[in-house]
Amino acid sequence: MVKGIVITGQFGRIVVREKSGKKIELGELLVADTKEGKILLQVFNLIYGSQISPQNLELISGMKLEEEVDFDFADAKLRNYILAELKNLVVINKNSARTAKELPSFFSEVRDVSKDDLSFLTKPKNPLFVGNLRSGSREIDLPIYLKGDDVFSHHILIPATTGRGKSNLTSCMLWDTLDKDYCGILVLDPHDEYYGRNKLGLKDHPSRGKAVYYTPKNAPPGARTLKINLNQITPTHFRGVVDWSDAQREALNAYYRKYREGWIKAVVLDKEVDGFQEGTLAVLKRRIFQLLDIESDGSSVICRGVFDMTAGETTIRDIVSELEQSKTVIVDTSNFDGRVEILIGSIIATSILGRYKQYKVSGQLDSKPVISIILEEAPRVLGKEVLEKGRNIFGVIAKEGRKFKVGLTAITQLPSLIPRDILANMNTKIILGLEMKPERQAIIESASQDLSDDDRNIASLDKGEALITSNFARFATPVKIPLFEEFALKAAKKETANDFSGIKL
Amino acid sequence: MKFAHLADCHIGSWRDPKLRESSTKAFVKAVEKIKEENVDFVLLSGDLFNTSHPPVDSLRIVVAKLKELKDSSIPVYIVAGSHDFSPSGKTMLDVLESAGFVVNVARGKVEENRLYLNFTVDKKTNAKITGMIGKKGGLEKSYYESLVRAPLEKEAGYKIFMFHTALTELKPKELEKMDSAPVSFLPKGFDYYAGGHVHIVDKKSLEGYKAIVFPGPLFPNSFSEIEKLQNGGFYIVEDDAIRYEPIVVNPVFSINIDCSSKNPEEVELEIMKGVKNKEFLNTIVTIRLFGQLKTGRPSDINFKEVFRKFYGKGAFFVMKNSNKLTSREFEEVKVDTGSVDDIEEKLIAENSGQSGMFDPEKERRMIKELMHALSAEKNEGENSADFEKRLRESMNKILE
Repeated sequence: MVKGIVITGQFGRIVVREKSGKKIELGELLVADTKEGKILLQVFNLIYGSQISPQNLELISGMKLEEEVDFDFADAKLRNYILAELKNLVVINKNSARTAKELPSFFSEVRDVSKDDLSFLTKPKNPLFVGNLRSGSREIDLPIYLKGDDVFSHHILIPATTGRGKSNLTSCMLWDTLDKDYCGILVLDPHDEYYGRNKLGLKDHPSRGKAVYYTPKNAPPGARTLKINLNQITPTHFRGVVDWSDAQREALNAYYRKYREGWIKAVVLDKEVDGFQEGTLAVLKRRIFQLLDIESDGSSVICRGVFDMTAGETTIRDIVSELEQSKTVIVDTSNFDGRVEILIGSIIATSILGRYKQYKVSGQLDSKPVISIILEEAPRVLGKEVLEKGRNIFGVIAKEGRKFKVGLTAITQLPSLIPRDILANMNTKIILGLEMKPERQAIIESASQDLSDDDRNIASLDKGEALITSNFARFATPVKIPLFEEFALKAAKKETANDFSGIKL
Repeated sequence: MKFAHLADCHIGSWRDPKLRESSTKAFVKAVEKIKEENVDFVLLSGDLFNTSHPPVDSLRIVVAKLKELKDSSIPVYIVAGSHDFSPSGKTMLDVLESAGFVVNVARGKVEENRLYLNFTVDKKTNAKITGMIGKKGGLEKSYYESLVRAPLEKEAGYKIFMFHTALTELKPKELEKMDSAPVSFLPKGFDYYAGGHVHIVDKKSLEGYKAIVFPGPLFPNSFSEIEKLQNGGFYIVEDDAIRYEPIVVNPVFSINIDCSSKNPEEVELEIMKGVKNKEFLNTIVTIRLFGQLKTGRPSDINFKEVFRKFYGKGAFFVMKNSNKLTSREFEEVKVDTGSVDDIEEKLIAENSGQSGMFDPEKERRMIKELMHALSAEKNEGENSADFEKRLRESMNKILE
């Protein structure tokens, strides 16, 4: 269906006059047919056009308003119209596409994009479903897949204002990847929403055996009670979690050097360590008590929370092994304060990266799935201020994780707080609506494709609409993310019959 | 209320007749102690036997001891474990139950693919006991997934849950690779969780789970268990006080030598150095060697002579482990020396899903069950046709 005609402009800003009645929308995809193929275009601005001079328009509008004179334009459709500004995306030739370097002919017709135009958007080997293609607000029945293993290892950023569908998108991505073998995903879940303890969630997936859920309290049947043995913690895990003074940091390291695995017990039970003032050690002990929810009766450590002296010896290794088996591990951190959540994430992330580094050395890395760590409110660990105080494991993964097939999926409302080099390292950005200009600017400046004209487009994204910019996509792709409940219910679990042999029935 | 909690007796497990006899003796000693303690009842949390059809000589002794308990009015409550369970449902445990020597508490009903377990009430104490079987490779997990917990949790009175499963949150570091299930699979609010399967001695509690207890094996089942545990034992529980009762059949003497920078002769001298003036009457001696020899090969160590010397000093049994002993000459030859279970697990994981007939997880489960079914041995007195029929029945059940 013809929607307009190219009338003027330049490369990257092609002006099309809209055919009357054919509403062109911001973000809409249009096609201009040429002799060589098709040029895919996208609307980034809409303006009014008129054959009547501005003075006359002002006069006519005044007469309508003030004197209630009922005017009608002769040939109104010819005289007043909408102009759309379009940018070139790609040139399509049969089933392939290349970067656009030419303009459509003067007076070319532009039409709606159809599914057939986009046959070059094929399903890659390790697909990650991110939604259906969207043209403006119209959803096209064409699923968009990214190459999941590449996308995850090269980090994903999901920037969005509250209420724009971050959780819905994450739920859909987790549901989609659960039965895939190319990735293991660690979710630090501060709202306890992805497993679906009391609602639809990964527990209802046909491959639910691949969803492993750790929760600190009232674990539902099949879930694991989160327990982390104190012996598994080292002073480096506190980087980015606690601001120690220099003296406190040195004392931590001294305890660790002297008592190795039993260093926390040594701190708590006031075991001897030379060269530190009593005050320093007392503060250290108090902060460890608070952070780890432990205390002492003078002779032993009393554990009240997740961190334990006896249980949880294999928890961290179990989690890493589960990720290595391409499972999705959800850690319910809803009961923790932010520091504890980051500490737990830090312990696991350190272990993941360590193990995958070993695999690289031993030549086994190629056969392992990529691991992605989903981090909500990412600036807590990737923010400029935090990173200026010293590197933490998430900063390390952001910079060098992809060499070891370990990536981050960072979710944030405030991408501008993340340093530019890290933002640029996040090679895929799934942009949901962002209302604040500085946040949009931070994304536009670090995007994989040129989004310099997409500010309005991003600002106008409605709930569930996203723009994906990625090194692994041919163009910044607009998508409509399905509603999780509808997406998941199509394939919710089916009960398999047990024989119960061995039980006296 | 006073009861004994045993698990993992693995009667008939050792290939060597002397150690097999010791393993049976441990059971005999345990029953004597149980009678002496005059307990109200006995819990046996799986793997009484090492197979579903144990050898007759061991069986005879076990039956005699179980009869003694019966005659002393001490009931024995059991669940089947990963070793003495059979997919066909025909095991020696059923025979023992039919004879009235044991009561299998893993009983209940199935409605709409949901499992409802029933309590077995101990007449003397009114203790309410129920439990879940253990299957090889942790395959009982699917039973737990179907278990209806609410009625079990609501039941009033002193309640005991017997199980034969490693628990993820409580696994020790050395059992990291063992199949396990989360604690949340167990119904909450019981007074005592009588565990088996994990060969460690441990008692712990978690929120909602008062006492989760693993007595470990009654007699160590492998070289490393002999080294680590020295002996087996069981728990006696009296009014919530839990006491471990060790069962010592043979004292154990363990030698652990780093052979790096030594030649075979020096290793032999090192082994004998600390034991010159010692007697080893009735003792099990373990010798673990590791490291890289300076010269020569592990086979150059004259173990025959070393063993002879120990036996000369009255040792009951001498065993060695040189899996991690290497020589420079053969440095490049490396063998992954995981346990048989580990190697099985690895091979199955590597190959499952290749047939394309089932999903990989289902195929993995079926392979394990088939392997278990096919490891059944012909029973004494069983003719080939009956044996074949039994195997077929087991396999049909798995493949249904």
